[in-house]
Amino acid sequence: MNYQTAHWGLIAVDESSTVEFPEGLPGFEECRGFVLLQHPEHAGLVFLQSLERAELCFLALPVRAVRPDYSLALSGEDTALLGFPEDGQPVLGSDVLALAILSLAEGRMPTANLLSPVVIHSRTRRAVQAIRPDQRYGCREPLEETVCL
Amino acid sequence: MLVIRRHPGESILIGGEIELEVIECGHNRVKLGIRAPQHIPVMRAEVKATREQNLAAAQSISGGAIPAGLGRRARGGPAVPLLGGGPA
Repeated sequence: MNYQTAHWGLIAVDESSTVEFPEGLPGFEECRGFVLLQHPEHAGLVFLQSLERAELCFLALPVRAVRPDYSLALSGEDTALLGFPEDGQPVLGSDVLALAILSLAEGRMPTANLLSPVVIHSRTRRAVQAIRPDQRYGCREPLEETVCL
Repeated sequence: MLVIRRHPGESILIGGEIELEVIECGHNRVKLGIRAPQHIPVMRAEVKATREQNLAAAQSISGGAIPAGLGRRARGGPAVPLLGGGPA
């Protein structure tokens, strides 16, 4: 199916590459469908493009590209929403993909939201922005120099 | 900050319209029930921070501020889906 986007023009999106947020994202609750795009000019970056709002496109990095030792902490609620047993933790990499949304603004250090990563079930592609129940990371963590090589 | 001690089953009224009830008190977490009129948004504090961060982050791409070094540089080409499917 084709979608009009503000930054990429018309893109052809295969059903198998879409991601569904049953509850949207905080601030964008009505946005349920997204597609993950990568662009050769920024090969390490992931663009989270909304299928409902042409102009909405988040920039993200896999959490371990930001912090190589990042470990997930999902609430029971989020684990269940993704379709995993509520008392377990899905494995990063095999069960789920986790992305940190980036904030970039002219003249300011880029930051990554490690408090609430976007966690995507690798098989069903159900997704949730999972707010960590602990305070181990913040939502404006500076990007280490190594990411920007 | 006003600090009040409550037992499970007891409540606090805020402004006459909002009721906060302590439902259960566990080992290291408390279960609260909140009754508030429809027009008063109730959310966990972390959700508010995440919401504000998302609203700011949504502007990142249009600011034209993607540092050249962010992500590995390669030859130009179409944007491609990360999961499943082929290029657009």
